[in-house]
Amino acid sequence: MRLAAALVAVAGIGVAGYLTWAHFADSQVICVAGGGCETVQTSSYSELAGVPLALLGLLSYSVILALIAWDAPLARLGAAVLAVVGLLFGLYLIAVQLFVIDATCVWCMVNDALIAPALAVLTALRLRTEPDDATS
Amino acid sequence: MAAMKPTSSRRPSRWVVVAAFAVAIAAAVALIAAALLLRNDGGSTATSSTPAIDFSGIPQAGAMLGAPQAKVTLIEYADVQCPACRIYTEEVLPTVVDEYVRPGKVKAEYRGYPFLGEDSLKGERFLLAAAEQGKLWQLVDAFYRNQGAENSGWLTDDLIRQLASEIPGLDVDTLFARAQTDELGQAAQQAAAEAQSAGISGTPTLLVKIGDADPYQIQVATPDQVRAALDDALKG
Repeated sequence: MRLAAALVAVAGIGVAGYLTWAHFADSQVICVAGGGCETVQTSSYSELAGVPLALLGLLSYSVILALIAWDAPLARLGAAVLAVVGLLFGLYLIAVQLFVIDATCVWCMVNDALIAPALAVLTALRLRTEPDDATS
Repeated sequence: MAAMKPTSSRRPSRWVVVAAFAVAIAAAVALIAAALLLRNDGGSTATSSTPAIDFSGIPQAGAMLGAPQAKVTLIEYADVQCPACRIYTEEVLPTVVDEYVRPGKVKAEYRGYPFLGEDSLKGERFLLAAAEQGKLWQLVDAFYRNQGAENSGWLTDDLIRQLASEIPGLDVDTLFARAQTDELGQAAQQAAAEAQSAGISGTPTLLVKIGDADPYQIQVATPDQVRAALDDALKG
């Protein structure tokens, strides 16, 4: 399970890294008929005080991966806590996409609906085992 | 190996775990609140600092700008409230006008697609009225450079009056009288309907038409991209 958690964290780094790059890359803004003018990636919801959310995600996943590698009990707790924060924030972002912006971005959803919940579950489960447990 | 287990290798106590997750929930709530409160305002309401495009000396007829005999036409579907159209007008259109329309190589056609809201229709009515006086493009430019946030009610009569009075040769009273007729109101709705049935999915949508051939769509976000697209059309 430690390997699984690490792999999911790496996947998170990959997706968040791509989304961070996409946020800064030249993307054509367009107003979509039947919707509004804010696409998910360029919407004002995609940043927190000017910092792209994708970048926050990238940093968080990196810290979680480091904590998984360290593997001390407090590190496991830290990883789980961070993953739960990520999960809850991801749920908020899903709500913003579906109910506020009326637009979703595929990779954002992959992160919010798959990676963040999976990581939260895995890191939480790992709290129940000892560090040198063969099954972890 | 008889390892000496440091005390930190024991699992944290249940209470520590509960407290940690309470902190996690509190942190998530704080983050969400921060994300909502610290959003940048979606639309810029400041007057643009880019200079107005100089249209003087370029023939205008209705929605067309440029030499009527130019073989290549650049068609733009746009909504006055669309921020992306504003970006196009400020960053790409000057190149189109200076390097292609003014020398008579390309003519430009504005096709309003007022779909974003009431101010979109209002803007389109005034543009159609300005077109009757051959001043549509000056008003397009002025609207975008003073664009406010989507559906915020920025397109007031006072703003339009002020912008229109800055356009030489535009009769403001006639502009208002015509814009407020049912005739132009219907024409504005018609413009939106036509764009929809033409399959236009968003704004700005740019199409190039060579002679009488079917127009084809181009993607341009920068002056270099529009140069490439127009040079390509001029060759063929």
